[in-house]
Amino acid sequence: MKHVVGLAAAAIAMATLTAPAAADDLVKMTIGQRGNWDTSITHLGEKAGIFKRHGLQLEMIYTSGSGETLQPVISGSVDLGLAVGTLGAMAAYSKGAPVRIIGAQATGAADYWYAKNPAIKTLKDTNGHTIAFSTNGSSTHSVVRAFIDEFKLTAKPQPTGNPSATLTAVMTDQVDVGWAAPPFGLKEMEEGKIHIVARATDATLVRGQTIRVLVANADALVKRKEVIDRFMKAYRESIDYLYSSNPQVMKDYAEFARVSEPLAKRVRDEFFPKSLVNPDQIHGLETLIPEAVNLKFIPTPLTKEQIAELIQILPRK
Amino acid sequence: MATTDRLTRFVAAEPLVSHVTLLRIAIILAVLAIWEFMAHSGLLYRDVVPSLFAIGKALYDLLSHADFYFNLGVTAAEIGTALLIGGFSGLAVGILLGANRFLSKAFEPYLYYLGPTPKIIFFPIMIMWFGVGPSSKIALGTLSCFFPVALSVAAGMRQIDKVLIRVGQSFRASTWQMITKIYLPAMRHPIINGIRLGLGVALIGTLLAETKLSNKGIGFLIINAYSTFDMPRMYAMLIVLFVLAIGANALVGRLGDLEGIKRT
Amino acid sequence: MTIAAARQPGPRFVPPALVGVAALLVALLIMELLIQFNFVSRFIVPPPSEIIGSFGRVIVEEHVFSRFLLTLGECLTAGVMLTVFGIAGGVLMHRIKLLQQACETWVAAMAAAPVVLAYPLFMVIFGRNAWTIIMMGFFAALPPVILKTIEGMANTRKVLVNVGRSFNLTPTQQFWKIMFPAALPTIFVGVRLGLIFALINIVGVEFLINYGGLGQLINDLAERYDLAGTYAAICFVILVSVLFFMTLEKAERWLRPID
Repeated sequence: MKHVVGLAAAAIAMATLTAPAAADDLVKMTIGQRGNWDTSITHLGEKAGIFKRHGLQLEMIYTSGSGETLQPVISGSVDLGLAVGTLGAMAAYSKGAPVRIIGAQATGAADYWYAKNPAIKTLKDTNGHTIAFSTNGSSTHSVVRAFIDEFKLTAKPQPTGNPSATLTAVMTDQVDVGWAAPPFGLKEMEEGKIHIVARATDATLVRGQTIRVLVANADALVKRKEVIDRFMKAYRESIDYLYSSNPQVMKDYAEFARVSEPLAKRVRDEFFPKSLVNPDQIHGLETLIPEAVNLKFIPTPLTKEQIAELIQILPRK
Repeated sequence: MATTDRLTRFVAAEPLVSHVTLLRIAIILAVLAIWEFMAHSGLLYRDVVPSLFAIGKALYDLLSHADFYFNLGVTAAEIGTALLIGGFSGLAVGILLGANRFLSKAFEPYLYYLGPTPKIIFFPIMIMWFGVGPSSKIALGTLSCFFPVALSVAAGMRQIDKVLIRVGQSFRASTWQMITKIYLPAMRHPIINGIRLGLGVALIGTLLAETKLSNKGIGFLIINAYSTFDMPRMYAMLIVLFVLAIGANALVGRLGDLEGIKRT
Repeated sequence: MTIAAARQPGPRFVPPALVGVAALLVALLIMELLIQFNFVSRFIVPPPSEIIGSFGRVIVEEHVFSRFLLTLGECLTAGVMLTVFGIAGGVLMHRIKLLQQACETWVAAMAAAPVVLAYPLFMVIFGRNAWTIIMMGFFAALPPVILKTIEGMANTRKVLVNVGRSFNLTPTQQFWKIMFPAALPTIFVGVRLGLIFALINIVGVEFLINYGGLGQLINDLAERYDLAGTYAAICFVILVSVLFFMTLEKAERWLRPID
């Protein structure tokens, strides 16, 4: 194995040496969950030329999970990680990994819960039924636990994986209430196959919690502070653009997420209030930290000093 | 696998060919009919088993977009590089282990047992070491491909006719000459067999890595179709991929037989 | 396949093996030093000592044993299905020559197809549960069992068949008393290969869909950024597969004492 790694390393070193130089500053990033509205900000902003205007060129790599988004940030192969679970970021930081939170990515969640069975209309009706979340320790897991706590439910939580797997499980009666993140499932909803039972924001706890964050490699944050500053500026500008009445936004998003334009519009207007993607502040640390300890993400609560070091949000200018 | 010797036996059965072809067509038609029946029966969740028409249309869409060929190129380049690096390092290590009994006894058991462990579990490490670009996918492909090549070559080395080696030695051939003039030609079969096995696992390793983390490649397209629940597109992609994988495998296999060397 | 290609000496406790172990230890020690002196980032590779230290934690806190049983259960279920359907398929194809001629190359081609990539397909058909994992293992591992069964049946020595004829055995008797026992060793090679394929695919799919036993554990620990734990879990998976292969090898030797 050592031989392979050595040879591969040599080949890769050569490959990276020949990377083309660009006039703009290149910012590399990993992004979780391609196609969701909140993870499309950089794509749409770049398409509109906003990042270019700030002298930035983006390289976006999509991942299938929070862990894979975070790992390259830690090893320094990318500068930024978008849509990293807040708990995961805390875990890495608490073990000394060079990772810093530079903004909120999602405060409150747009995820929703749905059922096929017409008898299940609201959360109260889920008593005695199974209710889905993605995987243990995920943000959907927290939401389902909050539902059960706050609404005193007897529903049984069940991990079902990503929205595709969950939809199959619901349609084949393996689980009664499924979860999805829009735009996923809206088409099925319009076709009358499923209906909404609850939204993540129905849980008080979730409404005030930043469940996913923007992270940066600590080294990059020091050495490329000016570039990352510009990135955040362009990111905020992109958000303003995304919520403007410019029809190009919906056109681009519909194409990117492979959905119809009316559906794309519904995703933004119905599920993603602008406050949800506001990066300016991390909310709900007082509940997030105990949860992180509880789920074995961090051994002990983070101290004030640690929090100050971990969360370095560049202020809006 | 005992693919090729079966193939040759099959070719011998010339007179039956028409029956065989008929049966094959019948089987294909039956499978398609069952699928279409399932699609319309509602026994399975409808969207999961789309009708053949929908799959055919998706296949056409897929193949008529330049986009697909770009991604195919990316994946092919990754697999090719992995095969190259993994193949050559496997060859080198295989020759070393095959030529030296002591080294073989000391290290081959590790290769032997590491070989069949699922390589995808090393992907988190590969991301850490090689980053997010094609290099981490190449690394996983390389890692997958290394083992079958090394093991196959080492075993092949030991099966070389001792006479050949003695001939080489009597001509006072240098180590390099021994390798290029004696070992490599005599081991064409184990090498090609190893590369064929290596190709299969490199393909799997690379594509699986792409489904986990990427922005291009066939693995990326597959996982994307899946996560947007675009089943016809996903099936279309799998069909293309299976055809290509089987084709590539047959090609490498053919390569080994072309020169009329009989496998024992 | 890999295995069959290299059925050479297994580990024996002779000096070379000691050298192998020593080399491994030295490599680990060098790694440890490189990390301790900051030549290699500990956030990319945790020091070996930390990995060893986290073994206990991973075993106790992460319920490795019950996860192991889960994976083993999936493997055995797939194994039973493999044995039944693979051998039955092989025998069927051997008896009906036309079927063999029509399908054998297909089966061989299936062996080369990256079945594991079809995991989303299995997910949508079977849902995200143990059956997806078992069926993946089953389908990926079926071709070698079928092919080896056909090979075993076809290579039954003529002498044996003639002996059967001279005793006027019925075709059924001929099959059960002569052909099948004679083919058994080859069939077992197929089953062993099949089980190895099944294990690889099962652990791989567990990792990919983040569900089930050992494969999921790796994903879980990586998600929590427990690096030492992740590496320890990977070591554990390797250990399990090694034990699994060794057991199969022993079983095979016991089954075919002749060669």
